Amino acid sequence: MAQTKEQKKLHLIDTDIHERVEYEELLPYLEQPYKRYIEDCGWIQEKHMPFTQPAVAGVNRADAVVPDGRPAGSDLPFMQEQLLDAIGHDVGILTGALDPSPSSMHGWYEMAAALASAYNDWQIENWLDKDERLYGSVHIAAQDPQSAVREIERVGSHKKMIQILLPIDDKLWGDPYYHPIFEAAEKYELMIGMHHNEPPIHYGGWPRYFIEWHTLIPVAHMTMVTNMVFNGVFEKFPKLKMMMIEGGFTYVPFLMRKMDQQYRDLRHEVPWVKRMPSDIIREHICFTTQPLEEMTKKEFLQTFEQMGSDEIVSFSTDYPHWDYDSPYEALPPGLDEDLKRKLFSENARNFYPKLAHLKEEQ
Amino acid sequence: MGEIVCHEEDLKPGEMMESTFGRHSIVLCRASDGHYYAFLNRCIHQGAPLSKGKLCGAPAATDEVGEYNFVKEGDILRCPWHGREFDIKNEGRMLANEKLKIRNFKVHVKNEQVIVYK
Repeated sequence: MAQTKEQKKLHLIDTDIHERVEYEELLPYLEQPYKRYIEDCGWIQEKHMPFTQPAVAGVNRADAVVPDGRPAGSDLPFMQEQLLDAIGHDVGILTGALDPSPSSMHGWYEMAAALASAYNDWQIENWLDKDERLYGSVHIAAQDPQSAVREIERVGSHKKMIQILLPIDDKLWGDPYYHPIFEAAEKYELMIGMHHNEPPIHYGGWPRYFIEWHTLIPVAHMTMVTNMVFNGVFEKFPKLKMMMIEGGFTYVPFLMRKMDQQYRDLRHEVPWVKRMPSDIIREHICFTTQPLEEMTKKEFLQTFEQMGSDEIVSFSTDYPHWDYDSPYEALPPGLDEDLKRKLFSENARNFYPKLAHLKEEQ
Repeated sequence: MGEIVCHEEDLKPGEMMESTFGRHSIVLCRASDGHYYAFLNRCIHQGAPLSKGKLCGAPAATDEVGEYNFVKEGDILRCPWHGREFDIKNEGRMLANEKLKIRNFKVHVKNEQVIVYK
């Protein structure tokens, strides 16, 4: 895709790009005995979802498969050609492809911790160090908070590691169990990223069809926002912020109203929450755009008006996944430049402390 | 112009009663320290009769997650419907949002009679 004059003005910070590792690429970063469990014993990540992603080519855009046949997202030069150069990204934030997904392992925490370290090293060496536009996410094995903190201390000071991804499982993040992780996050100016994963958190377990699960992703995000706010995480860790990735943002006005109403009625149950939940959300949480529902400009702007802010939403493509949003096509036409600047770059730059230097450079 | 609404001994500290003041239904509360406070007997949220609620205490704001420090026993008027909390010793302001308050009336005790004024 050739750049047009219009495209060059974007200054895009893309808050959700999925790089993909193949297991053999992790082997140089693994010690024994973990290495041989992949090499000799054929370890693979445990899976839970009963569906395939029933798009043209599964989870990925059909045109994002690397020309030599490797999986989409696994080749930096091809990602540069198809995404970063074609769109004209200023910054792309890598969020992993959840395979391996150390925090999703329901046992063998030592292997999970080794995989998280290997993945972080692979990510730094093959992506962050090779393209100045790319920033990364720290992967941890949250099942063992002590090892998770050690891993954050090991790679958290890397100038291009900007957030920590936590597991989507049966223990919500407001639980004090996670406090050592949040403490380490604050220490290294890392934000918390929530990207939905399997298994889901909602009543009824797995629905029968993928379309149901995919429709209800925001339910898991709402669960986590509600949990983090009412469990006082942001009161205890005032520098901590959370990026809600790939849940969209159109549920936010509803959730703010609902939480504020509940707070007025039930404040006494959570006396450690000392402000209106919507105020806490506006100060500590940011939401990525994708997957955008198709909206008119009027509907789109009403959502921001109801949130009381246009500074807590950041654009994301979700490349190379099938429900990718194009920065040039996904937003309703006719938005003013000020709002586009906020969505495309300013809000993300203000959210991540390690992107603040970009302000001076631009 | 004041109106006598009850005898001083009709309420013990921490108790409340429904009464009238002119055309208004009011709730008269006697705080833990023995002072009297009167409010319009209508919650600002959805109009519930506050006199059917509870005069009780509330957990104080805290910096510690999981800590309940129950304070102001007898000074918090809790709505019978949604449980919203109003501090009778702070002009009837809502604990969750002090910008909001129930309408209050002045109260004096004279010759053992509790008198409500505008």
